[in-house]
Amino acid sequence: MIEFKHVSLALGDFSLKDVSLSIEKGDYYFIIGPSGAGKTVVLEAIAGLHLPDTGQVLIRGEDVSAVPPEKRRIALVYQDYSLFPHMTVRENIAFGPKMQRLPKEEVTRRTERLLSSFGIEHLADRYPGTMSGGEQQRVAIARALAVEPEILLLDEPFSALDPLTRERLMTDMARIHRERGLTIVQVTHAREEALRLATRAAVVIDGRLAQEGPVREVFEDPQSVRVARFVGMENILNGTVTENTDGLVTVQVGNASIAAISDASVGERVAAVIGAADVAIARRGESTGMARNRFEAEVTGIVPLGGALVRLHLDCGFPLTALVTRRSADEEGLAAGMTVIASFKASAVRTLPVD
Amino acid sequence: MARTSVLRDRCLVSFSLIGGVILGLTVLSLLSMTVKELSDIPHLLRVAADAKVVDSIVLTMGAGLNAVLILIVLGIPLAYVLARTDFRGKGVVESIVDIPLILPHTVAGILVYLLFMRRGLIGAPLQEIGITFEDAYPGIVVAMVFVASPYFVNAVREGFEKVPVHLENVARTLGASRFTAFYRVTLPLAARDIFNGSILAWGRAIGEFAAIVMIAYYPMVISTLIYYRFTTSGIKESSTVAFVMILACFTVFIVLRTASRFIGRKYDRV
Repeated sequence: MIEFKHVSLALGDFSLKDVSLSIEKGDYYFIIGPSGAGKTVVLEAIAGLHLPDTGQVLIRGEDVSAVPPEKRRIALVYQDYSLFPHMTVRENIAFGPKMQRLPKEEVTRRTERLLSSFGIEHLADRYPGTMSGGEQQRVAIARALAVEPEILLLDEPFSALDPLTRERLMTDMARIHRERGLTIVQVTHAREEALRLATRAAVVIDGRLAQEGPVREVFEDPQSVRVARFVGMENILNGTVTENTDGLVTVQVGNASIAAISDASVGERVAAVIGAADVAIARRGESTGMARNRFEAEVTGIVPLGGALVRLHLDCGFPLTALVTRRSADEEGLAAGMTVIASFKASAVRTLPVD
Repeated sequence: MARTSVLRDRCLVSFSLIGGVILGLTVLSLLSMTVKELSDIPHLLRVAADAKVVDSIVLTMGAGLNAVLILIVLGIPLAYVLARTDFRGKGVVESIVDIPLILPHTVAGILVYLLFMRRGLIGAPLQEIGITFEDAYPGIVVAMVFVASPYFVNAVREGFEKVPVHLENVARTLGASRFTAFYRVTLPLAARDIFNGSILAWGRAIGEFAAIVMIAYYPMVISTLIYYRFTTSGIKESSTVAFVMILACFTVFIVLRTASRFIGRKYDRV
């Protein structure tokens, strides 16, 4: 549906460098990455608002460099909603169908249907300046859908909303994607949004594509330290491979040895990456199962995460972060200064090349 | 509350006193003229009804309006390009826009004269098709356009810059061509700035003297008439004409300023 072939594009301080990716019809595709990484530029390049300096953008298999934005059937919703302030909500939604020169009855029919399906009939005659962020966002999405696009581009659509409104809009977007069979490309720096909605995802860091694939794969199997850091792998430990026996390697991190499954060769500098959720905590003397990595650790900090989980900061000779349920933390009486056993399986450790 | 806080703030109080000098000068000069003119009302009425004076005021304001209309047609596209593009040499273009601001008005007059006189680069061919600038209405308008253009272009450009480029982008993805996006989105949102730029340019245009007399001494715009009366009949005659002009200008400016408050009011929360 959408294909980038080695696209490079410089735009003031921003630039995309040799980005190749392909988005299939019906994908809910996420472009994720830290703020200021050039994600919005990717959307604008798909929409045709910027032309690549080198490389090709293909849509439906055709090079679209000669197709202006108004002919691409791609709708774009910006983070700041970008509603036309001099038009009422109804006029905003009707703008696209009018531009497509649809018959008047069809313009009205579409507008009214969208007003009702987004629950914004009561706002129809209001001007955007007087509305809340959530209301404006719904109008912006309704306006984009009014042209019945094949592709919908969303630029951080939930970032400025309160949690309740965000929740509601996410549900809406999931439904719209399902019901309309739309191809949606969404940009975000929020990982939860991607995990919740995306089918596939690309991580863009500093204008470069760092990784692309099914969203689970990107989050669970990062291929570089940068991606690992971004997708929330809390433990990234630099060390050297000292032993490799049939794929079971030992990584020397400071004075500690960490066992990992890897094909890295002896002497190689690697980053050992461990998800905080993969680290188990036990009292001293308790069984820790068959995990190959077992360390005596001092609890240095306990950070509540707002939900059922707390994050433990540990010192095992190297810093380690673990997630435990708040209930376990309470029952075990975990407190800073306590000594516990932290363990994780060798298969939970990924080794990645050092940046 | 605002009043007490200003009075207690030594910085603001001293600045207000110093700044008041400028206001004082303007107010004092207007007052002294008003008092003098109102002391001889029959004379004031006679001058105000003088056909030459009335004609000249109408001519000046009309030519100013004409200049503004030309600026709207030519200046809006220029302002839009300057607001939306970045190119090598943009600084040079911006400086060219500002040239009439920094030139002495007599110099501006000579530049306009050289270009539009009967043998001028533009004046000569237009003379062929019957448009004369020397000592004629088109000469007045062209001098006004020249000196007022930076005020208009810069004000309108600022107005365009205030319209987020995202709005145009969205309009385009919704099917509007660049022209349509400009016409339906950017232009209405910049309406107030265009209006204010027009007032500014109009004010500048009707105030011009030096550049106009060089190419068109006749028909006399109000500045020329005042200067003519000053040199031939003295201060009493000329100051009364000036006073009538002040009254006319005030009236127009108050009406326009009031109107500008209603233009584009809804769009304030961009």
